[in-house]
Amino acid sequence: MTGSIFVHPATYFLLGAALLPLMGKLRLQKVWLILIPLAAFTQIYYLPESFGHVQYLGFDLVFGRVDRLTFVFLHVFTLMALTGCIYGLRVKETGQHIAAFLYVAGSLGVTLAGDYLTLFIFWELMAFASTFLIWYRKKKRSIEAGYRYLLVHTAGGLILLAGIFLLYQTGHDLSFGVFSQEGAGWAEYLIMIGFMLNAAVPPIHAWLPDAYPEATVTGAVFMCAFTTKTAVYVLARAFPGFEILAIMGAIMALYGVAYAVIENDARRILAYHVVSQVGYMVCAVGIGTTMAINGAAAHAYAHIFYKALLFMGAGAVLEMTGKSKLSELGGLYRTMPWTMIFTVIGGIAISGFPLTSGFISKSMIVQAAGDAHMTIILVMLLLAAIGTFLSVGIKLPYFIWFGKDSGIRAPEAPWNMQLGMGIAAFICIFLGFYPDALYNMLPYAVTYEPYTAYHLSETFQLFAFTGLGFYLMVKHMKPHSVSNLDLDWFYRRGAGSFMRFAEGPVNRTNEWVSNVYKTVGLRFTMASARAFSWFDREGIDWTLDGSARHVVRSGDRLRHLQTGKVQHYIGGAVAALLIVVLVAALL
Amino acid sequence: MMAQVIEWLRERTKILKGFFFAFLVFAVVFDFLIERPEPHFWGDEIIGFWSIYGFFGCLTLIVVFKGLSHVWLQKEEDYYDR
Repeated sequence: MTGSIFVHPATYFLLGAALLPLMGKLRLQKVWLILIPLAAFTQIYYLPESFGHVQYLGFDLVFGRVDRLTFVFLHVFTLMALTGCIYGLRVKETGQHIAAFLYVAGSLGVTLAGDYLTLFIFWELMAFASTFLIWYRKKKRSIEAGYRYLLVHTAGGLILLAGIFLLYQTGHDLSFGVFSQEGAGWAEYLIMIGFMLNAAVPPIHAWLPDAYPEATVTGAVFMCAFTTKTAVYVLARAFPGFEILAIMGAIMALYGVAYAVIENDARRILAYHVVSQVGYMVCAVGIGTTMAINGAAAHAYAHIFYKALLFMGAGAVLEMTGKSKLSELGGLYRTMPWTMIFTVIGGIAISGFPLTSGFISKSMIVQAAGDAHMTIILVMLLLAAIGTFLSVGIKLPYFIWFGKDSGIRAPEAPWNMQLGMGIAAFICIFLGFYPDALYNMLPYAVTYEPYTAYHLSETFQLFAFTGLGFYLMVKHMKPHSVSNLDLDWFYRRGAGSFMRFAEGPVNRTNEWVSNVYKTVGLRFTMASARAFSWFDREGIDWTLDGSARHVVRSGDRLRHLQTGKVQHYIGGAVAALLIVVLVAALL
Repeated sequence: MMAQVIEWLRERTKILKGFFFAFLVFAVVFDFLIERPEPHFWGDEIIGFWSIYGFFGCLTLIVVFKGLSHVWLQKEEDYYDR
């Protein structure tokens, strides 16, 4: 089976996407949506260590390279695809499912890629396919956000490609391995920037909170799981121990949480919170010890499920009420209690309550920071944990399900959405009770024990007193219908200014120049053309014995001989033939 | 069914509040009783440090970032559409 393309789990999604329209016609779409992720999920257990070596134009492409780091990401990606497909089962538009399948295929392809060219191909597939998950919302804002998303990712892809070119120029080796901080130059850092853009590291993060809230309900669930976590995987693969990542990651964790505290739209809060949580993982990659890399992988695994769960909850509210702004919601516990319970499970898991997946994964990163004596980073990460509990653990559920009653009495989400949320919620709790299920999958052997008295005490205190803070400040947390500026201002307002500049000064200058050309330039050109023509006739031909004139004159005579009448030509031809025959006879 | 349970709890907010404050006390008392591992930094050695950090961290986050939002960052929702 090693030689077959069906070894690669992405093949199932690519084939699945290609056959989806047919399955839609045969009314088998729902079956197909479950079958494909299930097949891919099964397949990852049967992967050989290395497969899919292809020679192309002198490059060694490696489509499959499997080790423990790859496996944990493949596991979570395929399982998440299954959960997401269940959640989106009732979406009728086949196109949306095709986009989601291609997106997952891209993500799996990147995870398995053994060289930078293969990685780049799947990397671009991800960006391209996910754009459609935004566009399928079909609102003007989504269309615009989709274009911005695509442009930003294209720019990021080009930076990555530039890095790959430089890498090839220096070493003629494009295999996707570990870089060391000492030898890193332009090639390595350009590649890192390309990766960091997808991980949404500030200041190149603004595409994420810009695009995710505008995506479709299921689209956002898929997007929050794959793009950033694939980026974490490639960073962990190529750049472990790069100090800059530890610093940027800690800043990121706080940056995202700051916006999550002040934003109003539920899905924008969650999107900013992705930035914060990915910050933990980027920081862990930067710390680079075996414990930290384990932490990054574990946190990515846990994060995918609780963040998807939260996006599913906010998406279910959006689907049933048509609203996602906290200022327009409130009091929904009466009619959507199950969605509430699932979302609250997501909220406490992301905050890292004991007996949830956040408790066993986030703490590994904090512990690794402590062990590496990075005190400032440790304190920053714990402040981000406070902000997480404040924004996603308390604020979000409180203002959607309790708070001021908005009068909305939307029915409970359909069964498939509840099932999707139920699976994700189960995984969040299961990993909290039985951490070894995750720890046994991690790249390195785990010696870490999450349930120590001190860790429990630290968690109890942090959350209890953050709760007290919220209780005292709840008036000031009340959401308003505003949005907050972020760094996308530079290209959103900047593009506007550029357009005004182009329409105003640039356009006027252009018109003025063409007027000048019409009045002055054109006349000058005609005059000089006449002058050159005279010089050709009189000057050059005179020096060459007037041969040009002779040619013109003899050509003229020859032209007069040609009358254009067919009988003259036939007559001429017959006369010529007669002469030839006569000459031949005489000789 | 679920909604009724929540409704029932909402009618008894006093009890919930009581539980909450009891938990605050428990969290601090618990910190006195436990065995401490080797500290990562000075904060790990102070009993109740994380209570103080949690409370003031939360207030700081709200005051600083809500403040930043009010004076600078917040704009109407159609800011970019105009």
